[in-house]
Amino acid sequence: MTDDELPANRLESLALTAMFFAVALALLLAMPWATRWGQASGGWWTRPALMPGLALAGLTLANLITLGRALTDLRADPPTPEERIVARQNILGWLRPVEFLAYFAIYVWAIGHLGYLLATLTFILGLMLRVRLTSPRWLLTGVLTALALVAIFRVGLGVWMPAPPLYDLAPDALRTALIRWF
Amino acid sequence: MEFLLTGLAQLADPTVFFVMVFGAILGVVVGAIPGAGAAVTISILLPTTFSMDPLTGMTLLLGVYCGAAYGSAIPAVLINTPGSPVAVLTAMEAKPFADRGEARRAMSLAYSSSFVGGICAVLALMLLTRPLAQVARHFGSAEFAMLALAALVLVIIGHGGRRIEALAALCFGLFLATVGVETAYATQRFSFGFQPLMSGIPLVPLVIGLFAMSEALVQLTARSHSKPPVQLSGRFFSGFTEVFRYPRTLFGSSLVGILIGIMPGVGEFLAQQVNYVWARKLSPEGHLFGKGAPEGIIVSEATNNAVPPAALIPMLALGIPGEELTAMMLAVFLVHNVVPGPQLFIERPEFVAGLYWTLLVMNFVIIGFLMLATKWIAKAALVDKRFLGVVILTLSLIGTYASNYSLSDCGIAMVFGLLGYILRSHRWPLTPILLGLVMGPILEGRMRQALGGSNGDPSIFVTRPISAAMVAALALLIIFTIRGARKARRRPRKDWQINDS
Repeated sequence: MTDDELPANRLESLALTAMFFAVALALLLAMPWATRWGQASGGWWTRPALMPGLALAGLTLANLITLGRALTDLRADPPTPEERIVARQNILGWLRPVEFLAYFAIYVWAIGHLGYLLATLTFILGLMLRVRLTSPRWLLTGVLTALALVAIFRVGLGVWMPAPPLYDLAPDALRTALIRWF
Repeated sequence: MEFLLTGLAQLADPTVFFVMVFGAILGVVVGAIPGAGAAVTISILLPTTFSMDPLTGMTLLLGVYCGAAYGSAIPAVLINTPGSPVAVLTAMEAKPFADRGEARRAMSLAYSSSFVGGICAVLALMLLTRPLAQVARHFGSAEFAMLALAALVLVIIGHGGRRIEALAALCFGLFLATVGVETAYATQRFSFGFQPLMSGIPLVPLVIGLFAMSEALVQLTARSHSKPPVQLSGRFFSGFTEVFRYPRTLFGSSLVGILIGIMPGVGEFLAQQVNYVWARKLSPEGHLFGKGAPEGIIVSEATNNAVPPAALIPMLALGIPGEELTAMMLAVFLVHNVVPGPQLFIERPEFVAGLYWTLLVMNFVIIGFLMLATKWIAKAALVDKRFLGVVILTLSLIGTYASNYSLSDCGIAMVFGLLGYILRSHRWPLTPILLGLVMGPILEGRMRQALGGSNGDPSIFVTRPISAAMVAALALLIIFTIRGARKARRRPRKDWQINDS
């Protein structure tokens, strides 16, 4: 929790709880298709559906309680129009991290096509530009960070990464070094 | 004695010693950076420790764990922002010190009480773990099942102010633990024929997603406004001896920290609350608590640092992790086929004793490093949050990918990263999800064994004396908690009293 976060909006919390409750209930209802009760040879305590069933029942119940509490609170003190506007903005704000996760997915894809060093360098610098860390000093820090990560994980700890087709263009000796270290 | 000496020999290994120093320093630095911290760092380092031998891997993670507990006091004093949630009380108490130009005194108070708390807890670990493991040798499946259940109940009770949310998170974790092909009937459970889920939800991507990626997303999307740092004014060494003017608070906090740390699933947050409330009641200077009382810092830091070694006691002796970080460390054991519990002391005594000594020496390394380098570490506390987010997100990939070399793991980490982000922004606790995932198979396995032994008769849990005592204690605990919660409903909780882990 960061120090500059505002307290959660009640309507936003209601939406979140309702979503959790719906998911929990859907999973509970999907039990007959998602698993089976099992053969009769073992006792009732070995049934495959027992543990997920108990866990999902607990999850559904807990979410029902939080949902009930949120609804009671809103009934006792109805939300103001401002609260509604803030709730809408906040719920849309849930999508903000999706943008960064999309960059992360591209980064994962790029490793297989550009290699760890180039992909990491591009990812770090791209992300820094996106969050407005644009001064030459910051960008140099980004480049040094990428090099440090390669030095620590690829060279130091020998973490394996897939070799991109790009490395095949290099002469044999260089290609081996690129695959091994970068 | 011979048992302890075998551990000392382990410390003579230069690799273990180097890793211990590295882990401790890394822990202090990341502990000093609000938003980084032990959970993020350990989750990222976890896969890299799989290639090390168990002692070296555990030493690295424990170095980060203990170092971060010390380091979190630095931003608490310097920018009035706790380096980790457990330094909230330190931040609250240290602010008046900084306002009075005594920031260095506050820091030295924090360091020395951390040191005393840490050393006391390591000594408790050395003294208590083996006898507890010897007692646990007489436990059957019913007792282990009840222990696992007790840990899960304590996880919920420990989340004061967020208990229903903790219950939901725990049940979600328990559900996740069941995903995949189950062993008794080779039946698929919620994997829907999807190949990457057949072997279950992998621990490392879940941990990295929930704890590291979600933190990175919080940092990247947060509105950035940095707090001006406090000047490091005042005398540095005054607090080192001052803590011993409050022996009851210092050693009492350490002791309670150890006792609560031993209880699986509770963690330092509840230990701090209990200690803080009692120290305020018992101290003649109780009226100064919250206004810059030295005892306030002592309580917070001694407790905070007593918990990590104490949390290892149930994990080593019983195989039950105490909180999220020991749950992550359990993965290191399992990867190396080292099974924590009573048998560990028979099969790998040198490993256990080695852990004791590294933890003991680590406290001296950390305090020495802090005395020399506080001025420079303090700068780490001021790192730009956006840059921190960029670094954590970049490291998340290598952490996720290196564990299994599987791209689907990256996808799982992304899903849990988004979930963790949403849960964090609503102060839903994350720790119970992890504990549910780790404890779920233990609970299910032990329950099956116990009920199998009694041919399905559940009275097995109340007819065996130790198990029956645990059932009674749990029932009483639940009754008292419900009663306490009803009374507390009339009094709104302060922010530091809400444990959203």
